[in-house]
Amino acid sequence: MTVIRPAVRRRPSVGHLVAYAALALYAVVSLYPFAWMVSGALKNRDEILRGGHLVPRQPTWDTLVETWSRLHFFDYLLNSLRVTGLTVVGVLVVYSLASYAFAVLDFPGRRFLFWFFVALLFVPGITVLLPLVILENKLGILGTHLGLVLPFVNGTAPLTVLLLTNAFRSIPRELHDAARVDGAGEGRIFWRVYLPLSRPALITIAVLTAVPTWNEYVLTRVSLNDESRYTLPLALEMLASGNVPRYNEIMAGSLILVVPVIVLFLVAQRYFVNGLTGAVKD
Amino acid sequence: MAILNTIDPLGRPGAGPSQRQRRRTRRAGRRSRRQWLIGYAFVAPAVLLFLVMGLYTVGYSVTLSFAKWNGFTPNWEWVGLDNYRDLLYRDPTLAPELRAAAWHTAIAMLAVPLGTVAVALPLAVLLNTIRRLRGLLRSVYFLPYVTTGIAVYYAWRYVLEPDGAINLLLRSVGLGSVARPEGWLADPDTALATLIVIIIWGGVPVAMLLYLAGLQAIDPHLTEAAQLDGAGGVRVVRHITWPLLVPITAAITLLGIRDTMQGFQIFLLMTNGGPGGHTDVLGLQAYQLAFFQNLSPTLGVASALGWLIFLAALLLTVVNARLLRSSQ
Repeated sequence: MTVIRPAVRRRPSVGHLVAYAALALYAVVSLYPFAWMVSGALKNRDEILRGGHLVPRQPTWDTLVETWSRLHFFDYLLNSLRVTGLTVVGVLVVYSLASYAFAVLDFPGRRFLFWFFVALLFVPGITVLLPLVILENKLGILGTHLGLVLPFVNGTAPLTVLLLTNAFRSIPRELHDAARVDGAGEGRIFWRVYLPLSRPALITIAVLTAVPTWNEYVLTRVSLNDESRYTLPLALEMLASGNVPRYNEIMAGSLILVVPVIVLFLVAQRYFVNGLTGAVKD
Repeated sequence: MAILNTIDPLGRPGAGPSQRQRRRTRRAGRRSRRQWLIGYAFVAPAVLLFLVMGLYTVGYSVTLSFAKWNGFTPNWEWVGLDNYRDLLYRDPTLAPELRAAAWHTAIAMLAVPLGTVAVALPLAVLLNTIRRLRGLLRSVYFLPYVTTGIAVYYAWRYVLEPDGAINLLLRSVGLGSVARPEGWLADPDTALATLIVIIIWGGVPVAMLLYLAGLQAIDPHLTEAAQLDGAGGVRVVRHITWPLLVPITAAITLLGIRDTMQGFQIFLLMTNGGPGGHTDVLGLQAYQLAFFQNLSPTLGVASALGWLIFLAALLLTVVNARLLRSSQ
């Protein structure tokens, strides 16, 4: 294999050129709406109405700056960060504990509980949305950030439990038993052995939780009333709800909403991609 | 995604704690009871959260599906299976609406997984053949996944406007006859197809990544041995590559079916069922019955529709898993 391959690879074959052309084409498809999002956000009101070019004739930061300040986007950004952050922390704490129990500990009902959590994957969100709102109203947490975080955490249960139980399972049992012999309790083994060794899986879960939570719209829409508690998707919707859509401002708002997740993705990409693909490679 | 290799993570023979600890159980009953308590302590937060947030809502929703209620009157009016009957055939307005929505959902459910696989698989194969720029391209392709949601839907709406970038592009390359003067989402002929394309656009990233990982897991010696034995490209793909990619395709299809069946956010934000109900889907209908009927007693019907969606999703998943398993 090492003898044959370099010789083939040295000259760029027609096949390779075709491959690169096709891949470049899909890169354009993939980026197309983002390109127009950036373009729209840099146009002023007159130019957005004229439509047309991808490259703005008179690019201006004013649209971004105005959208940011006029709509108090900073407050909404903080709300979004708060809801997403609390959800991620909640998911990591609650389900790493549960997954550790499923993967390592033994107790009656373990198997039943595990499958129970996984089966929840099939209950559509819309089916329980209305009772959830009614329940939260009774508990007095409807319209609060806690009222979003609790169902968000609960909603990630199936995939998180699957992924984390799997990650903990792949840690050699001998490590657990050795720590046991050294006198460590389960809590200590969990904290000092299993959590550090599962860092990539935990980061994967964190990103897989953060991204949809950041973008969540439906539950947030039906439960939040108080504008001061709005998250970015609702702020963006407010911006877009005028009679005549001002697309330059909507695109500026969209950009503000999208940039943090892109940054997060780029930072955590290595773990994230490995975590996702690890599911196949095993 | 984890479904791929986690068909039963608790059931690997010999690897589990159960056998070992069962032996221990016999040895020291008291210690094992302490072990149990530790186990329960670890799962307690998850179970507690579910009891509060999950069990109540599921139970409530099931019960409500057998009643009529508008959300304001103190008492429910019990109607048994009437809600289900109304939805399926009896109510002269609801039943046809439901049928139309079910039809749109079915089209999307078929088209989304097919389209996702048709784009993602060749993309992954191509990406696997190149060395340079692979990482960069993978990140670029992955962008739609992390941004899926309201922001990117607005960007698409902007692009799909009557004077938007898509029509502009078509006119500038001489395909003006294909352009939609009313915009792609306001035209009854194109609205549903356009939404399906956007859902595929958002679903390709994960599928592409899974395929890429699957391709890279294939032992190159295997393909080379086959080539040395005289197998051509087509045969290598048919007999070596494809069989290894079947489980990934199964997972992608299942996830696609589930998401299309249950999801409706894109329909809500981009068309809200319009124009003229041409993009109405089941999830959207349940949402509107539950939240936008003011004082009409539609909450029970909304719940019943939710459970019909659940049953359909479950049924489809089981049938699909069976079919794919038998074809493997």
